Amino acid sequence: MFELGFMQNAFIAGFIVSVLCPFIGLFIVLRRYSMIGDTLSHSSFAGVAIGLVIGTNPLLTAFLFTSICALVIEALRTYYKKYAELVMSIVLTLSLGIAIILISSGKASAKVDSFLFGSILTVTTTDIWLIAIVGGICLITLLFLYNKLIYVTFDETSAKTAGINVKLVNYIFTLLVGATISLSIRVMGILVVSSIIVVPVATAMQLKKGFTTTLIFSIIFGFLDVMIGLVLSYYINSAPGGTIALTSVIFLLLTLTFTRFFNYEN
Amino acid sequence: MINIQNLSFSYTKGAELLKNVNLKIPKGIYLSILGENGSCKSTLVKLILGILKPDSGLITLDSNKISYVSQKLDNFNSEFPITVKEVLSCHAKTIGLKNPKSVHESLHKVNMCEFSSNLIGNLSGGQQQRIFIARALLGNPDLIILDEPSTGVDEKSQNEIYPLLQNLNADLGKTIISVEHNTKIALKYSTHILKIENGSLNLFTKENFTKYLESEESVSKII
Repeated sequence: MFELGFMQNAFIAGFIVSVLCPFIGLFIVLRRYSMIGDTLSHSSFAGVAIGLVIGTNPLLTAFLFTSICALVIEALRTYYKKYAELVMSIVLTLSLGIAIILISSGKASAKVDSFLFGSILTVTTTDIWLIAIVGGICLITLLFLYNKLIYVTFDETSAKTAGINVKLVNYIFTLLVGATISLSIRVMGILVVSSIIVVPVATAMQLKKGFTTTLIFSIIFGFLDVMIGLVLSYYINSAPGGTIALTSVIFLLLTLTFTRFFNYEN
Repeated sequence: MINIQNLSFSYTKGAELLKNVNLKIPKGIYLSILGENGSCKSTLVKLILGILKPDSGLITLDSNKISYVSQKLDNFNSEFPITVKEVLSCHAKTIGLKNPKSVHESLHKVNMCEFSSNLIGNLSGGQQQRIFIARALLGNPDLIILDEPSTGVDEKSQNEIYPLLQNLNADLGKTIISVEHNTKIALKYSTHILKIENGSLNLFTKENFTKYLESEESVSKII
């Protein structure tokens, strides 16, 4: 399995996704912002559709369009302070509208399925480079902003008074979410990309540890979910996105059972 | 220490909540801000902190070493996975504190060293408030501003928090500004009281405020 070129590509892409998604996912979950995962994955669908119609690398157009949508969400959030979910619905509607019109026009090639469900066969070397470069930039930015992101997530008002430019941090964070989702859709698929963002975090939170320890466990669970999911999808010939999503839910259930059964406490 | 000149503020145009307000808050006092709900107590504090911008007027502070303990944390709940030490370290790094002992020293001041590795969500309301005060003490601020520190805290915990604030003021010389809804607590622990009523600000010493309350009471009895 590992000597096959397409599997090597899938595992490299999967590794990057498995580290990045739970990392960003922890902040998303703690900000009670889980809906953004679904919204931006639909934005990436519109981006993919644009790419397929104009004949450019769909990952690149997905990245660009999702980033624009991420910025729009953050800008609109200041207008709908009390109804942040409303902003998500607006952007989701816009994205789906664009995607459906473009796909139904017949100008997009038939590769849409591989983006919807994820595919280990279609991860190209160009995709790997794009995922590695954008993923690397995202990871470095996350590490650079780590302390500020924790502070803003935990206590935004005090973060502001302590001198953090909260608005800027929020904009950068939303951009990172957009970038992470668009580079994850190759492996995960648009429909289930939010599972790798949220479920490993939900699993790690059951262990009731501090922030950094929860982050490390989120990444470990994310890594296990993706790797086991990829291997299984190879052997049972299933779409990797769905297999990874199911693996992540099984890990969550096992952890829930373990923590309840042993009455696990910090 | 804090000089407020001709300050006006409104959330919506044409509905001024504070109009041409002037106030001088001296250094080294423990000031409780009292007023009805919606009387702009928290708004005034946010204006002093610079979180809100005034429509007109000026607020000048003779120190920029200010700490803030907010009333309610935005995303905080008992499930939030963060330890006491992480809460303080996060603030210490943000304000550029290099000394690794500063977190421990700050926890020591509020007698919470033993809880350093605990998840903050597992602590009682009073203990959490002491942790936030410890966080506010990092960087040795001159001024600590608190927004209703007794909100959601039982009486036992209140008896831990307020004497602590009183000691910080009396022993360490910190200026304390605390938004309060409880007049008894304000009278018991603070040195000065700021009464906000119908958009006007009146600063009292504790003694003068007691007299003011007595006269108010006698007036209401007559009525």
